Amino acid sequence: MKKIISYSALIILSFCFVLPFTIMILGSLKVVEYAQIDPLFWIPTDPSIQNFVKIFNNGIFVRWIFNSVVITVIPVITQMLICAVLGYIFAKKQFLGKEVIFWTFMAVIMVPQQLLIIPKYIMFVDFGWINTYWALIVPELWGIMGVFLVRQFLQGIPNDLEEAAYIDGANDVQIFFKIMLPLSFPVIATVGTFSFISNWNDLFQPLIYLTNEKMYPVTLGLASMLGKEGNFGLEMAGSAISFVPTFLIFLFFQRYFTEGIQMSGIK
Amino acid sequence: MKREFNKNFLVYVVLIPVLIHFIVFQVYPFVLSFYLTFMDWKIIGDPEFVGLKHWKYFFEDKVAWKAIWNTVKFSIYYIVPTMALGLILALIINSGIKFAVFFKGLFFLPVVTSFVIIAGIWGWVFRGTEDGLINYLIGFVGINPQLFLSSSSQALLVLAGLSIFKVAGSTMIYYYAGLQSVDKQLYEAARIDGASSWKIFWKVTFPLLKPIHFYVAITTTIGSFQIFDSAYLLTAGGPNYATTTIVYYLYYTGFTGLNLSYAAVLSYILFFIILAISLVQRKYIGQESNHY
Repeated sequence: MKKIISYSALIILSFCFVLPFTIMILGSLKVVEYAQIDPLFWIPTDPSIQNFVKIFNNGIFVRWIFNSVVITVIPVITQMLICAVLGYIFAKKQFLGKEVIFWTFMAVIMVPQQLLIIPKYIMFVDFGWINTYWALIVPELWGIMGVFLVRQFLQGIPNDLEEAAYIDGANDVQIFFKIMLPLSFPVIATVGTFSFISNWNDLFQPLIYLTNEKMYPVTLGLASMLGKEGNFGLEMAGSAISFVPTFLIFLFFQRYFTEGIQMSGIK
Repeated sequence: MKREFNKNFLVYVVLIPVLIHFIVFQVYPFVLSFYLTFMDWKIIGDPEFVGLKHWKYFFEDKVAWKAIWNTVKFSIYYIVPTMALGLILALIINSGIKFAVFFKGLFFLPVVTSFVIIAGIWGWVFRGTEDGLINYLIGFVGINPQLFLSSSSQALLVLAGLSIFKVAGSTMIYYYAGLQSVDKQLYEAARIDGASSWKIFWKVTFPLLKPIHFYVAITTTIGSFQIFDSAYLLTAGGPNYATTTIVYYLYYTGFTGLNLSYAAVLSYILFFIILAISLVQRKYIGQESNHY
């Protein structure tokens, strides 16, 4: 009985979760001439990759993808490295001001990013960063949450390991690269995935700092297409393409990513 | 002694640039924003001191209060269903079904998907015309076509539905972690005492998840007060301000109305609300989460 309830709930819920993605994929294979009046328009009678050809021939879309890659990949790499180093420092080193700095970081987590966006906009006007990659890359070079995750992880690792390495004559830099970095791979992968997903999907910041269509990341580009084009198939093709990178990252790092979410909340 | 110095030297070499970055992009904007609330600033030209003008205006601004009320209403539609759906999904994948990892991934997928993609699909599914998918489907059971996103009474509900779908997967992960740490012997004991599955759930599992209920409730509440993407993408705050949330109003005031100072006031209001929620979190969860 319990099994039956479980499985029927599972089937219904899976259907609801699969449906939007099915609509996206199937919709992308439909060509617009089939009038949009039919509500089941997305079910293909005559699949075609024409939408994908069309969207790739449209230079601006390729540019949007390129912009997204630039403003995502650079922060992902620096986030992983900087958060790893800082996490190590806060977990294992004793130095003046450690507690004060760490708890200031923690306090700032509570500040919603929407509060910072207006003063940052004013600053970036002064810096000449509006409509440039700088506005989206430089503030994202590292993140407090990432530092916190790595610190939590490394605190669980016994200090003996580090001491043994010191006795063998290793220095801090060697210990970091040879011991701490490989050890904390799962948590660093989590930080990287978090950063990838949030930068790739970010809509709010590009919306504020960018006005030139050429500089848009793919999210903002798609948002500007929504409704305006009136071409459902083309929108879905664009969505499907922009979905691929997050989907791949998700497939490869799902385990770390979900563990990371668990760790970030409940200890 | 020398080694101590060397150790700290490297630490500071790393730390100083990071601290400068932190001050420039986190601390300074926070302070500047507060300063801005007392100024009139049109970006071009010098800021002019106006004292409490913008703060006073906030209390008279009907749209701002409507935005707060909308956000509260959104939370009411959103928080409990998100928690319930997350818990149901967690119970399903924890119940020993086959391919649990696959389904966990499937339910988590919307969490990593851009809101733009989800809004693109849902906007089409919930089209308020007769040819919208949902209107087509409810037509079979004799329900008249609904306006959905263009109706001031339904738009916020549709946005809440979309958000529930988007984030239930992450709630599921928290509950799943909680369910896995429940001591199996408790279930055994309850079963020996003759309790039904239903009773075990309400008397054993549900109360044991208390710290997780708290945590999820707080994070979901904070999330709901920051809702923006769906309102921007699907309804642009309308119809008739029905989906103007705090963050949407902040965006609209600052970047369409170009009143950055008043937008800064609104952003501080948002901050105070989130701060209050976080303090509640610290008070209750600080003690509760010791079990885990």
